Amino acid sequence: MNAPPGLDFASIPERIQSEVQRAIQRSIKGVEYFSTSGPTLGSTPKDVLHSRGTMNLYHYRPMSDEIYRVPVLIVMATTNRGYILDLVPGQSFIEFLLKRGYDVYMLDWSAPRPEEKSLRMEDYVLDFIPDCVRRVQADSGEQEVSVIGYCFGGVLSLLYGSIHANGPMKNLICFTTPIDFREMKLFSNFSDRRYFDVDHLVDSVGNVPPEMILSSFEMLRPASRTVSQIQLWENIWNDEFVKSYRMFDRWATDTLPLAGEYFRTITKDLMWDNKLFNDTMSVGGRAAKLENIKVPILHAVAEHDHIVPYEAAKHLIAKIGSADKEEVMLKGGHVSLVAGANAVKRLWPKLDSWLGKRST
Amino acid sequence: MTDKTNDPVAMWQKMVGEMEKGFNSFANQAMSSPEFSQAVNRAGGVAAGAQKQLGELMEKYLVSMNLPSREQVTGLAERLQSVEAQIGEIKSMLSQMAANSGISQGSDGTPRPPRTKRPPSEGGDQA
Repeated sequence: MNAPPGLDFASIPERIQSEVQRAIQRSIKGVEYFSTSGPTLGSTPKDVLHSRGTMNLYHYRPMSDEIYRVPVLIVMATTNRGYILDLVPGQSFIEFLLKRGYDVYMLDWSAPRPEEKSLRMEDYVLDFIPDCVRRVQADSGEQEVSVIGYCFGGVLSLLYGSIHANGPMKNLICFTTPIDFREMKLFSNFSDRRYFDVDHLVDSVGNVPPEMILSSFEMLRPASRTVSQIQLWENIWNDEFVKSYRMFDRWATDTLPLAGEYFRTITKDLMWDNKLFNDTMSVGGRAAKLENIKVPILHAVAEHDHIVPYEAAKHLIAKIGSADKEEVMLKGGHVSLVAGANAVKRLWPKLDSWLGKRST
Repeated sequence: MTDKTNDPVAMWQKMVGEMEKGFNSFANQAMSSPEFSQAVNRAGGVAAGAQKQLGELMEKYLVSMNLPSREQVTGLAERLQSVEAQIGEIKSMLSQMAANSGISQGSDGTPRPPRTKRPPSEGGDQA
């Protein structure tokens, strides 16, 4: 009887030995896993420049002898914590920017308190972001500010930029930012206006609970959590895998609640009426048309993004009024586009080469 | 070295990957239907109503136990928030005063680097 092609009988004992060693390691590391906490995240040195309710403005301490003239303000998505952009040294987008000579600020969110359930879209776009921009200007002594928005932070940045067209925004970078909400098919179906009574929900619970936000994300790929736990067990002998798993798992499950009124507007204006895409969006009575944005813009999208599919993001560049505009599609998913080994090689260098020459 | 097509571990991993893709795709199809939306929102609506009623019941219970109600704790949080805001304003004023006095320094008191960096393409240093 012949051996199947490619099967090397000589390697079998070696393979068995390796699997036995891994099995032992799994047992040891499995105990370690449950008895230790994960790596410390978000540890790049920073100062809290301002804090007001759900809003936090950080300034990261420079790591370069010389910095670019124009400071950078990162606007984080309101559903998640900003430390995804500052995981651990060597895998921190913030650290990368600092070492490349950028002066970095971040608008990050903490869970809105029960009394903040009445925060509206106006509060985010016409108060929080402009307030942070003013503070960045005062702190840096520079009038112009580049803005980077991640996911829904990108939507907020677009709304801010379209309303403050003559404002201090020098450059705009959006990561995986949806504008055509009809194309977020599953979210669209979950919030079908025929069956989803957003008024009842918001009036009942105030702020939308984080469990509900997390469930809606997890429902997009219902098998993935179980499979990732199987993969964790298989690779628990591998310290690097476990470290990475813990970082991303902790972040993904650290979802924030959303302020009730703000969620009501997102549902009605964006999910139901698709106003940003249809050029009918207004915030606090002020028209927010994407064509008003004239500053240089870079939009980075991920090839395998299951949260913001390309169809939901692809019209952004066409609708923007800027002459200097670029879309870049990179390999990866919604999170791996901006964080982790994939981002270190792909997005970060691209961003640096684009932004550096526009930051002097 | 064994071929991946005959490696039982690789085969298992491939199978798990395929199962994940297949199940996700099947579930996504099922979740795209209006019936799914109707069912999930009906359940969600009931849960939200129940949560509201439970909240009201808890409030009454806390009052009867002479414990601070949510409203009182929220009141304390608001006062704390106001103190935090005032500290923030004081820090901001101090930074502004330092900036006005011509000292370029961060809020931690350390001097800031000069804003003179040029991109490498224009002859600037690559950090």
